[in-house]
Amino acid sequence: MLNYTLRRLMAVIPTILILIVFCFFLMRLAPGGPFTSERPLPPAVMKNVLERYGLDEPLYVQLWTYLKNIILHFDFGPSFSQKDRTVNDLIAQGFPVTLTYGFFSALFVLALGVPLGVIAALRHNSFWDYVMTGLAIFSQIFPNFVLAPIMVLLFTLSWGLLPGGGWNGGQWPYVIMPAVALGTSYMASVARLTRGSLLETLSAGYIRTARAKGLPERTVLIRHALKPALLPVISYMGPVFVYMITGSVFIDIFFSTGGIGQNFIDAAYTRDYAVILGLAILYSVLTFALLLIVDLIYAWIDPKIRSGL
Amino acid sequence: MTLLSVQDLSIRFRTPDGYVHAVNNVSFDIEEGEKLAVVGESGSGKSQIALAILGLLANNAEASGRILYKGQNLLDLPRREMNKIRAKEISIIFQDPMSSLNPYMTVERQLNEILELHEGLRGRAARSRVLEVMEAVQIPDAKNRLKSYPHEFSGGMRQRIVIAMALLCRPKLILADEPTTALDVTVQAQIMHLLEDIQKEYGSSIMLITHDLGVVAGFCNETLVLYGGRVMERAGTAAIFAAPAHPYTRGLMRAVPNIHDPSATLQSIPGQPPNQTRPLVHCPFAGRCGDSLEACFDILPELSPAPHQRACIRAVEELT
Repeated sequence: MLNYTLRRLMAVIPTILILIVFCFFLMRLAPGGPFTSERPLPPAVMKNVLERYGLDEPLYVQLWTYLKNIILHFDFGPSFSQKDRTVNDLIAQGFPVTLTYGFFSALFVLALGVPLGVIAALRHNSFWDYVMTGLAIFSQIFPNFVLAPIMVLLFTLSWGLLPGGGWNGGQWPYVIMPAVALGTSYMASVARLTRGSLLETLSAGYIRTARAKGLPERTVLIRHALKPALLPVISYMGPVFVYMITGSVFIDIFFSTGGIGQNFIDAAYTRDYAVILGLAILYSVLTFALLLIVDLIYAWIDPKIRSGL
Repeated sequence: MTLLSVQDLSIRFRTPDGYVHAVNNVSFDIEEGEKLAVVGESGSGKSQIALAILGLLANNAEASGRILYKGQNLLDLPRREMNKIRAKEISIIFQDPMSSLNPYMTVERQLNEILELHEGLRGRAARSRVLEVMEAVQIPDAKNRLKSYPHEFSGGMRQRIVIAMALLCRPKLILADEPTTALDVTVQAQIMHLLEDIQKEYGSSIMLITHDLGVVAGFCNETLVLYGGRVMERAGTAAIFAAPAHPYTRGLMRAVPNIHDPSATLQSIPGQPPNQTRPLVHCPFAGRCGDSLEACFDILPELSPAPHQRACIRAVEELT
C-alpha cells in the first residue's frame, strides 16, 4: 500500500512536467500577449518591458528559466499584470479562501446528499422517495449562477439574514452562501447516486445473508451495505472536490470572495502567462492528490483492489 | 416430534402485470432429525418456501397460511423476534457462494458477528468457536485463513464457509437451498458428504432444496415433490424411488440418464411450466401429463393421507 502510494507520487512528477511544457507552449500560441493593448506601446517601452519579464529571450530559454525557478526556489514568477505581485503571493492570498468555502461546500454535499440518498433508498418507491427524487432533480436544474442570485435575493435583500458578499476573513456568515450555492447541484447528484447505488447493494446476495444471520436492519445497512454503496459516490467526489477547492469563477465574482477563481479569469483576460501557468499547476497537483486519495479509499474498502496494489 | 409445520402456505408476488402465484396451499411437516428433500424444477416455488420460513421474502411478496415453529407462526413474527430465530434456531445455506458472502469483510468477521449477536461471544472465545466450525467443514489451514477475504477462496471453499456460517449456533433446522448447484460435480459430492456428516454430528434437521434427484437419493430420508407451487407427492425417499405414484414424479425419474444403458434416449417431460399469473383451479401438471383425463382440468386434487401422499385423481395402477 505504501509502496503503491510512493509509486503513484513518483508518477506525478513527470506528468506535471509534461503538463507545464504543454501549457507553456499552448499559451504562447494564443494570439495576443500580456502587453498588447489597443494602443500599441512605443517600441522602446515595449522592449524595456519585455526585457524586464524575460519575454525577449527565445522560448526554450524562458521555459528553462521558469522550470529552474520552480524546482530550485519554488518560485512561480512575477505576475505580468499586477505590478509587484508574484504568483506565489496571489495563490497564498486566494487559495485559502477557495479552500475554505470549497471544503465546507463538499462537507455540505456529503452531509446532506448521502443521508438523503440513504433515506430515499430505504423508503424505496414511497412518498419520501418521491419527495427526495423531486428535490434532487429540482436542485440539479438550479446551477450555481441561478441559485446564488436567488439566495441573495431571499437571505440578504428580503430577510437580511446573511451578508450578500465579501469574505471578512472567512467568518461563517460569509462562508454559508458561497458554499451552499456552489454545492447544491452536486448535493443533488450525490443524493441520487447514493440512492441508486444503495438500492443495488441492498439487493445483493450478501445482504440477504446478513439478514439471514438475524442482524437488525440498522446493522445490515451500516456494517454490510453502506461501504460498497458509497464507492461510486467516492469516485464522483474526487474531481468534484478539486473543482470546489480550486474555486468557482462564478462564486468568486458574484460573492466577491477574493478566491483564486477570480485570478483565473483576470489572468486569462490579460494573458498573464505566469498566473495562468501557476494556477494550472496548482489545479493539476490537487487533481492528482485527490485521485490518489480516492484510489486509496477504494483500496481500503475493497480488499480485491488492495491485493492488486 | 414435529419441528416445523408448514400449513396451507401460499406465496404470491405483486408485479406490474398482476400477481404471480409462486406457492399454492402447500402443507408439510419436518420432524426432528429428519432430512427432507424438496424437489422441483426452477419456478416450482421451492426456494420461496425456504425464504418464507426465515421471513426473507422479497418486498413484493405476500405470504398467507401458517409456518409453525415452537408454537409460534413465523409468518406473523415481528422482525425483532424473527432475528432471534435466524441463524440461531433456523439457518440457511444459499445456492451461490460467490454472491452470498460479503466481499468487503474478512471471513472471520462474517462468522464471528453471528456469535457476537446470538451467543454474546467475542474475542478469543469467538475465535476458537469459529476455528472449530471451520475445521468441521474441512477448510485446510483454517487458522491462517481467518483474515482472508471471500475472493481468496475457491467456490467449493466458499460454500464450506457458508455452511460453517449455518452451523455456528448449532441450529435445529438447516435450510439448504441448492447448496451444490453452483459447484463442480466432484466438489458437489464432497459438500454433500460434509452435510451428511455434520447432520449426524449435530442432529439438526435439514430441508434440502434441489432439482437433482441423485443428491436426494443419496442423502434424504423423506422427499417432497413440488410442481407449479403445489405438492405433487410426498413419501419416504426409498418409497418414492421404488414406486413413484404421481405422473410428474414418474416423468422426473424417466428424465434421469440411465447409467446401465447410456445409448437410451434421454426422456424429457413435454410442454412448458405452468402459467402462474392466475390462481390454480386445476392440477398444474394436467397440461403436460400423459395420463390426464378431462376431469384433471376441472379439479385441483388434494394430497392423499400419509404415509405415501400424492395429489392425483387417477389411481396408481392406471398410470403409464
